[in-house]
Amino acid sequence: MRPLTEEETKAVFEKLANYIGKNLVHMIDRDEDDAYCFRLHKDRVYYLPLPMLNLATSIARPNLISLGTCMGKFSKTGKFKLGVTSLDWLAKYAKYKVWIKPSGELPFLYGNHVAKAHLGRITEDTPEHQGVVVFNMSDVPLGFGVTARSTLDTRKLEPTGIIVFHQADVGEFLRDEDTMF
Amino acid sequence: MDVTQELADYAAANSTAVLQRANPVITDPGLLAAFDNTPVDAEEYSSNLESHLLALTLTSTQALIASLFTLPTTSSSSGPITSLPAPITLLPREKPLPKPKPLTKWERFAKAKGISHKKKDRDVWDEERQEWVARWGKGGKNKDKEEQWLHEVKAGEEADQDPAKTARGERKARIAKNLKQQAANLAAASSKPIPISSLRDGPSSKLSKPSRSLGEESQETKKAGRDKRKAELERSMLISKTSTASLGRFDEKIQGEPKVKGVKRKFEPVAKTDYSGEKESALNVLKRIESGFGSDKKRSKKGGEGAEGGLNVRKAVRFQGKQDRAAGKSSSGAPGKKGKRK
Repeated sequence: MRPLTEEETKAVFEKLANYIGKNLVHMIDRDEDDAYCFRLHKDRVYYLPLPMLNLATSIARPNLISLGTCMGKFSKTGKFKLGVTSLDWLAKYAKYKVWIKPSGELPFLYGNHVAKAHLGRITEDTPEHQGVVVFNMSDVPLGFGVTARSTLDTRKLEPTGIIVFHQADVGEFLRDEDTMF
Repeated sequence: MDVTQELADYAAANSTAVLQRANPVITDPGLLAAFDNTPVDAEEYSSNLESHLLALTLTSTQALIASLFTLPTTSSSSGPITSLPAPITLLPREKPLPKPKPLTKWERFAKAKGISHKKKDRDVWDEERQEWVARWGKGGKNKDKEEQWLHEVKAGEEADQDPAKTARGERKARIAKNLKQQAANLAAASSKPIPISSLRDGPSSKLSKPSRSLGEESQETKKAGRDKRKAELERSMLISKTSTASLGRFDEKIQGEPKVKGVKRKFEPVAKTDYSGEKESALNVLKRIESGFGSDKKRSKKGGEGAEGGLNVRKAVRFQGKQDRAAGKSSSGAPGKKGKRK
């Protein structure tokens, strides 16, 4: 476990900023008694409160499996990939959101893209290729993805057209259970 | 009204008497300088310093000016002019003495053998042309052999060889040899190998011979140069070892091969008492990438200012201007009328 280097921090922040934009500041600049930090452990980036960090320092590196919230992992080539475990934080600060109808929930949770037919609501003026968090109609975060079209362009799309490219969904908790942590 | 008394009083109050010096003041008009060798009167110096110094200065200055007036003068429109003589006093050298040039190999040999240098003139007398010609260079005499219109073919020489070409090749070889020797001399002087290509861009082969240290050099500088060259060699060896397709993984190790020492990564401590520094650096990173917010990928490469909020102000202004111009052209009578959108 170690703090991120500057390049790593940049890679992580750029990915996070794609979803939560300027709200990222609220994840870094927090109150003294509620401070969090980013830590890298075995190529995974964890976001954890400082008291937890102080406790975790007493655990030897090979014995430490996971701590705090895993935000994602670094690939061998140094790229950062957001994991579905970061969904809680993304959903909290998300700038652009997409709500899907109950009929579309299951297809999305099986790892499919969101079609226009399943789209319930979408944040106004969402640009193209913008990171969005996917909710169901009762505001439960299901995953996140990237918009295929801007909000305006979705009107012209046929019902089978893809609106959000799937990136991660909570179904992974079951599907990738053994490799997740 | 008689003011002589007052004038005398004033002069007495403001004058400083010229001091009597045991040794006469030495003057150097060439440098406009005067030197007073007489020891300082300690009593006078400590009792009233200012007036004593003034008197001393006055004495020296008067001596200097008196010496200046003894110089011959020439009259000119702006008064008499005197030219100062050459300075007598020798001033110390401003810059250090230039370092002696390191001897070339030939010069060292000549010194050891007691051969004295005989300088050759650049020009030589040409009997045939009855004029002075350069020994080398443009129109040089060393090119006579290759430029003559008729070549004598000696017995035993092959008829198909070009004598002009051979002569030229020999001359070029001499030039190349001299360049090589120059490089070797330079390399020995700086105790660092210098490739010939740096002397003159040519097809001449590169010199990789290790340099020869001069005898005058101290043991320490020799050792420093040797260590530096050794480090350089090891570095280039490491580079060449990893310059294979497998990055040197399957190459055989040579005995005494330098060990590869990688750079150790340094990280911040995991836990510390104060996390404000970490927060600061994170905020700095955020600030730097913040400029990429807004419409992240669609940002204009020309630095589209005001891309915030999905509206590129620069583009909008340009678009509006274009519209206005179109409207003004098509309907000159009605300014402000909206142009047709296509």
